[in-house]
Amino acid sequence: MTEKLKLGVFELTDCGGCALNLLFLYEKLFDLLEFYEIEEFHMATSLSGGGHYDVALVTGTVSTRRDLDLLKEARNRSEYLIALGTCATHGSVQGSVELPIKEKLKAVYGDEGNPMHALDPKPVVEYVAVDFALPGCPYNKREAFQALIDIAKGIEPVKKDYPVCIECKLNEYECVLVKKGLPCLGPITLGGCNAACIRSGLGCIGCRGPLPGEVNPASEYEILKSKGYDDEYIVRKFKTFARWEP
Amino acid sequence: MIIELREFTRVEGNGKAEIVIEDNEVKDVRLKIVEGPRFFELLTLGRHYYDVPDLEARICAICYLSHSVASVLGIERAFGVEVPEEIALLRELGLVGELIESHTLHLYLLVAPDVFGYPDAIRMATKHGELVKEAITIKAFGNRIRELIGGREIHGINVKPGGFGRYPTVEELERVEKESEALLRLAKRAVRLFASLEPYGAQAKHFVATDGYLWGEKIISDEEGAFDYTERIEERSLVYSFAKQSLYKGETFFVGSLARLLLKSEMLTPEAKRLFEEHREKLATGYVSYNNLAQAIELVYALEKANEIAKTLLDRGIEGENVPVEPKEGEGIGYVEAPRGVLIHHYRTDSDGKIAYSNIITPTALNHAMMEVSLLEEARKLYGEVDEQAMIHCLEETVRAFDPCISCSVHLVKL
Repeated sequence: MTEKLKLGVFELTDCGGCALNLLFLYEKLFDLLEFYEIEEFHMATSLSGGGHYDVALVTGTVSTRRDLDLLKEARNRSEYLIALGTCATHGSVQGSVELPIKEKLKAVYGDEGNPMHALDPKPVVEYVAVDFALPGCPYNKREAFQALIDIAKGIEPVKKDYPVCIECKLNEYECVLVKKGLPCLGPITLGGCNAACIRSGLGCIGCRGPLPGEVNPASEYEILKSKGYDDEYIVRKFKTFARWEP
Repeated sequence: MIIELREFTRVEGNGKAEIVIEDNEVKDVRLKIVEGPRFFELLTLGRHYYDVPDLEARICAICYLSHSVASVLGIERAFGVEVPEEIALLRELGLVGELIESHTLHLYLLVAPDVFGYPDAIRMATKHGELVKEAITIKAFGNRIRELIGGREIHGINVKPGGFGRYPTVEELERVEKESEALLRLAKRAVRLFASLEPYGAQAKHFVATDGYLWGEKIISDEEGAFDYTERIEERSLVYSFAKQSLYKGETFFVGSLARLLLKSEMLTPEAKRLFEEHREKLATGYVSYNNLAQAIELVYALEKANEIAKTLLDRGIEGENVPVEPKEGEGIGYVEAPRGVLIHHYRTDSDGKIAYSNIITPTALNHAMMEVSLLEEARKLYGEVDEQAMIHCLEETVRAFDPCISCSVHLVKL
């Protein structure tokens, strides 16, 4: 067997889910370890590499100067960098709070200024070039597994390019938007989650970010209006996970 | 002189500590939560109640369901909604699943490598493969329950005010009943392992928990009566940390498994109760490191409880009906025991059902001051006695015993 690839996992500011999701691969994690040596992954190991990484996974938003430094270091030291999860690709929920950082800090912490160097939360893709972006809050762990295996085999991982509705239809779920009038962002959201939320009989909340390309948010907006949702509700719903464009 | 502990490993989120040395003595310890602020309360302000639990779930991945349930309880209380036993039992089952998933992660994959002298569970697996395999099996079971109740392993949206999007089927519940029974034997082994360890860290003086085992109407302490958090818990901001600190009547206190066992042992399931009695003396010393042992006992509790709830639901049958929710102006607090301790979601709503005020206090924030005190005491004991590397290693273990969830701790607000 050829030498294993060196893998680094870097967590910026987030809920920890995107790092945790890797551990939720269970036995498949050991399949990954056939190809990769984990050099850095602070949630899971006390070892830290500090060297060169063949593949770096970066999760979370850049929310502090510490995050920014860590991101740049990860970028400089790695061959192939994956922005993993919607925080890293689109900013996700914490990126959607639309106030300048100073006002947010004042509301939360009082008047102490900004001694810890907080920044307005932005996705990784705003700061550095990434080789692959895999959204999802959380991302689909099977998709991440496949991407890592593809890279190890020298194949460029496949980017999804269809809406959640496709997977919803394949599963033969009832359309919750048309039939139940629930707010569902499935038509304008990037698929790949296997329509997880529609499986629960609830609407897609858009956690994988907007579908790139020929998407029609205006039509989605009209449908939601006709179902009785007001402007403010719809706009906030649209912008919850992706205030920043990829 | 300042000794810097690099960022903690094998904990969730980003934090570190500084030990201040003056005149060859440990003068102070500063626990620095360097994870960026996440502004969750600001995120939910003005939002329609229907979407709020799904957003709040994203505070934390390890305990997302605790956040969903606490959020739903706060909203339901604000609207005066009461749910029938079936819905309450299913929520409890979800929380039990989360306890299983979270405690297993902490005990087997984050703490056990210290016990056996490895940097992580993956390397530990070369010699202790059985233990790691056990961990994966138990953890996957906890996650399956989370998926069943919450809709996804992480950040599901199935828990809603008034009920659920989808209810579990008979077959799914039968599977929970069967598997929980099979896994109980493994959890008992974990109790033996963690009972054998010497204590470390500080001894907590006060304990706080919810008045029910996994959630409550109020919170309780080792002193008199049930109360609302606003009556006795105060928060303060720090210049060196993104997490605030909380004090109970001006003093440090502990929330988590150890607090739950010491305050609510009469609510435990039979085998867990027996194990608690067996180790009661040890646990009552209040050493924070016994939180590990307490978690192992709770793992037994959670497996017994999952079995009991599944049986009850199978006996009475699932109706699968939601309670209607009418938004109105109101105020409500949801108290839940997240795996690592008391979690508080406090809301005020307007007549359209939008959030007008929101305050969330997480267990890690409640424990923040106690963690700092614990590091200080430990550092004073060890400084000059052992070399710096050994001291740092022990201090990291002390932090780990709290099972801190740093991501959750960094967005507290009073508006």
